[in-house]
Amino acid sequence: MVLVLAIGDLNIPHRAPDLPPKFKSMLVPGKIQHIICTGNLCIKEVHDYFKTLCPDLHITRGEYDEDSRYPENKTLTIGQFKLGICHGHQVIPWGDLDSLAMVQRQLDVDILVTGHTHQFKAYKHEGGVVINPGSATGAYSSFTYDVNPSFVLMDIDGLRVVVYVYELIDGEVKVDKIDFKKTATAPSAH
Amino acid sequence: MSKEIVKEEAPSSSPVVSGSFASLRSVRWRISLGILPSSSSVDDLRRVTADSRRRYAGLRRWLLVDPHVPKDGRSKSPDLVMDNPLSQNPDSTWGRFFRNAELEKMVDHDLSRLYPEHGSYFQTPGCQGMLRRILLLWCLRHPEYGYRQGMHELLAPLLYVLHVDVERLSEVRKLHEHHFIDKFDGLSFEENDVTYNFDFKKFLDSMEDEIGSQGNSKKARSLDELDPEIQTIVLLSDTYGAEGELGIVLSEKFTEHDAYCMFEALMSGAHGSVAMADFFSPIPAAQSQSGLPPVIEASAALYHLLSIVDSSLHSHLVELGVEPQYFALRWLRVLFGREFSLQDLLVVWDEIFTADNSPLEKDSGNDENSSFKMFNSCRGALITAMAVSMILYVRSSLLATENATTCLQRLLNFPKTINLRKLIAKAKPLQILALDSKISPLSSIFDGSYNRSKSAVSGYNLSSHPVSPKTPLSLVPDSYWEEKWRVLHKAEELKQDSLDKLSPSGKKRWSEKVKLVLSRTESDPSPARAEKYKKGHKSSVRRSLLDDLTRQLGLEEEDTEKGGCSDASNLGDHHSTEAQVEGQQNDTNIGSIYRAEERCECGSGTVVSEENSSIFSDPLSSGSGTNDHENDTEKSSFASNLSSDENDDHHQSNPEDSPLPVSSPPPEGVPLNSPHENESSGKLVSAMKERRHLSGRFQWLFRFGRNNVSQEASDKGGTNETAKSLNRDSKSNTADSSVAGASRNSSLASLRDVVDQNVMGTLKNLGQSMLEHIQVLESVFQQDRVQVGSVDNLGKSNLVGKGQVTAMTALKELRKISNLLSEM
Repeated sequence: MVLVLAIGDLNIPHRAPDLPPKFKSMLVPGKIQHIICTGNLCIKEVHDYFKTLCPDLHITRGEYDEDSRYPENKTLTIGQFKLGICHGHQVIPWGDLDSLAMVQRQLDVDILVTGHTHQFKAYKHEGGVVINPGSATGAYSSFTYDVNPSFVLMDIDGLRVVVYVYELIDGEVKVDKIDFKKTATAPSAH
Repeated sequence: MSKEIVKEEAPSSSPVVSGSFASLRSVRWRISLGILPSSSSVDDLRRVTADSRRRYAGLRRWLLVDPHVPKDGRSKSPDLVMDNPLSQNPDSTWGRFFRNAELEKMVDHDLSRLYPEHGSYFQTPGCQGMLRRILLLWCLRHPEYGYRQGMHELLAPLLYVLHVDVERLSEVRKLHEHHFIDKFDGLSFEENDVTYNFDFKKFLDSMEDEIGSQGNSKKARSLDELDPEIQTIVLLSDTYGAEGELGIVLSEKFTEHDAYCMFEALMSGAHGSVAMADFFSPIPAAQSQSGLPPVIEASAALYHLLSIVDSSLHSHLVELGVEPQYFALRWLRVLFGREFSLQDLLVVWDEIFTADNSPLEKDSGNDENSSFKMFNSCRGALITAMAVSMILYVRSSLLATENATTCLQRLLNFPKTINLRKLIAKAKPLQILALDSKISPLSSIFDGSYNRSKSAVSGYNLSSHPVSPKTPLSLVPDSYWEEKWRVLHKAEELKQDSLDKLSPSGKKRWSEKVKLVLSRTESDPSPARAEKYKKGHKSSVRRSLLDDLTRQLGLEEEDTEKGGCSDASNLGDHHSTEAQVEGQQNDTNIGSIYRAEERCECGSGTVVSEENSSIFSDPLSSGSGTNDHENDTEKSSFASNLSSDENDDHHQSNPEDSPLPVSSPPPEGVPLNSPHENESSGKLVSAMKERRHLSGRFQWLFRFGRNNVSQEASDKGGTNETAKSLNRDSKSNTADSSVAGASRNSSLASLRDVVDQNVMGTLKNLGQSMLEHIQVLESVFQQDRVQVGSVDNLGKSNLVGKGQVTAMTALKELRKISNLLSEM
């Protein structure tokens, strides 16, 4: 039972000063085994903060990240699942499902985690699952100011992944849960 | 087991089993521990076994948490806000899951190191898994104990004996296959079709089948011709007996359940007197008269028995400072598990478990409250007796050594090759002795042993005792402290008298202060507090510095000019000027303190330091917390101890001192100024006293005066003076010995040697404590600023501000001094 945190698009310090305190109180070290970060942190301090939560940190480069050494894409295997990470500003049109599916096929992963749109999305389609954890700080995006802070926690257990979505709506943390099961051929959502 | 009875009874009745279960240790133990009823029928045994197993299974289902599995079938609508993995809510299943994971990690840490020499059984994943689950469930069931190292070692042999018995069962099975028949249709063999003749045949509870000799050639003998032991095994293992499979008393499937029941019974004592769980608890038992944790009590019981049996060995061990709990902790907590090899241990536990655990009735003559809990039952007495017998076994090597470490080494590395029979045989009469002896009242035992423990282990911390001196002080008998306390209070009374002479306003403030100090309250108005803080700071600095008395005199004269008062005491002068500047408090306080010092000196030097430290710790107490105060008493008592030697000798010379300061402040005449400040100064005072004896005392008083002096100076804008005086203070540190003590020198030398030893070690401590206090003071000062800002006095805030600046510089000086001390 592996807990994987998917988080990104914080845009600290340019567009937001810090994570919302309610989120910060939930993110304590010791519970999470991996962190997947879509990018746009942007500064080293945020990177260090994530490192304190969990030493296993995977991060890809967003367009405003100050550390240029992050890769553009990354893949990793957790349990039975192959995960892929990409920030998403490279994928045109931004947030378009078909284009993202192309990236997924390119990376050959079951779960693709992208960001950049600052909107939470979780699609199941064709060969896999695409998850967009949104912006953890609620920073404004390239096309809208109306952004709710959100992030995603995946619980990978064998062939099943449970996706918990944490959103800060009107100052309250709302949690939602989505189940994905991976079959031999394709993951199915229900 | 009587065949005749069985024969006559109806088929369904169950025979009585042989009482001893000679080869089935697990069954014997289960009976001794109280899980299984003793001397009853097979059916009863089976039923009880089945019940206990059901309980365990239920417990496991309830407590082992799988967050994915929805509880109570509520799969549709769990409250996700509460029940998500990151939830901070302690009730969430995820929260419990993570807590259990923590506990498991702790348990695993120990399990991985369990019995490596028998690793073929204990280190297998199956066994480890069982041990882990059992320990986890027990700890979840008893959260007040949590998991402690050693519990796994109690559990391991229990599991082992169960395992051994199951193996025995399979042996018997192989040998007597034909008895283990799954015969469910009640037909005799002849009537059975060939296909019904299984290899494993088992007899039903009734013996009738066997009695009537069947012509089946496969049967070698009838069941009743077998050893009663084998018969028992057969009966206990009948799949179709009472409770079916769950009732099979020796079953591999239910090893975990049985082990849990045994462990639970062992830990809880099963309504008996000796509960192993008590030995893991750090808090004293509810009925404990001594207020010590049970394991310490038990260790004391051990030593008590030893003292009755072999007083020379006992006194030898006590002299060396070998506290019983050093080795007895391990012996008791694991029931000698670490001292013997596994096989030997099983023999020892056989004996221990055979001993009855029910609490004995004490005769009315013997005061129940005053005896050891360990002697309350046969089992407890036997455990104690075993321990004493073990100590006696290595008696010669213990007596031979004069070193506590070697003794402990011998006791903690108990010889492996021993004559166990002899050991146990020796323990038996000791057990009787333990049960029979009229045990002397608990209190004296614990006082005696406690005092010894104080002397032996400075680090051993018994929270019940309010004051625990950290130094060789502990060698002092209790009556000494009582005497000091009395002296202290006498001094306080004297001080109160002296206060009456001072100016009313000052006196009021002073007595207010004293009352405050004595009552340990913090109700001072803020301006007074601000002042106190300042003064406290100053005085600490000053006090820690050794003063040049002549310079002191000069300064005083300066201040006198400023003050313009013409009191009898020059010191009083500064005070009055100060009073003008800052309010009435300082001068009268200081003057009164001076006088009080003198009187206190008469009583005891320690009183002085304690008084001052307590008085001035009060203002700081709000800032620095209550522990300062405890430190106070500690240090003042320390000081009192250190100076105790001096006091006796100097007592006669003390009265000489008192008249001197009143007239003028000649350096030699003024007795030691008691430190106003908190602990560090107090300690430092005492330490310095040791080194410079009475000569130092004079300087303290002057330093005190200097405190006020410098305060005033700063108030008047003379910060430089303060700095100068501070510098002088530090310089005069080394120059002390030259000053004064002329009248005291005669008696000083003799005491010097006595006291010096203690001094060096304490000085380092002093340095450190001073640093801490500096930090405290600084933080207090910062609080002060806030407080002071709200004060309404006109000129005060300015002065106070300046005073604070001075205090900061003073603190820096204090730091320097502490560095010096720590180097020393």
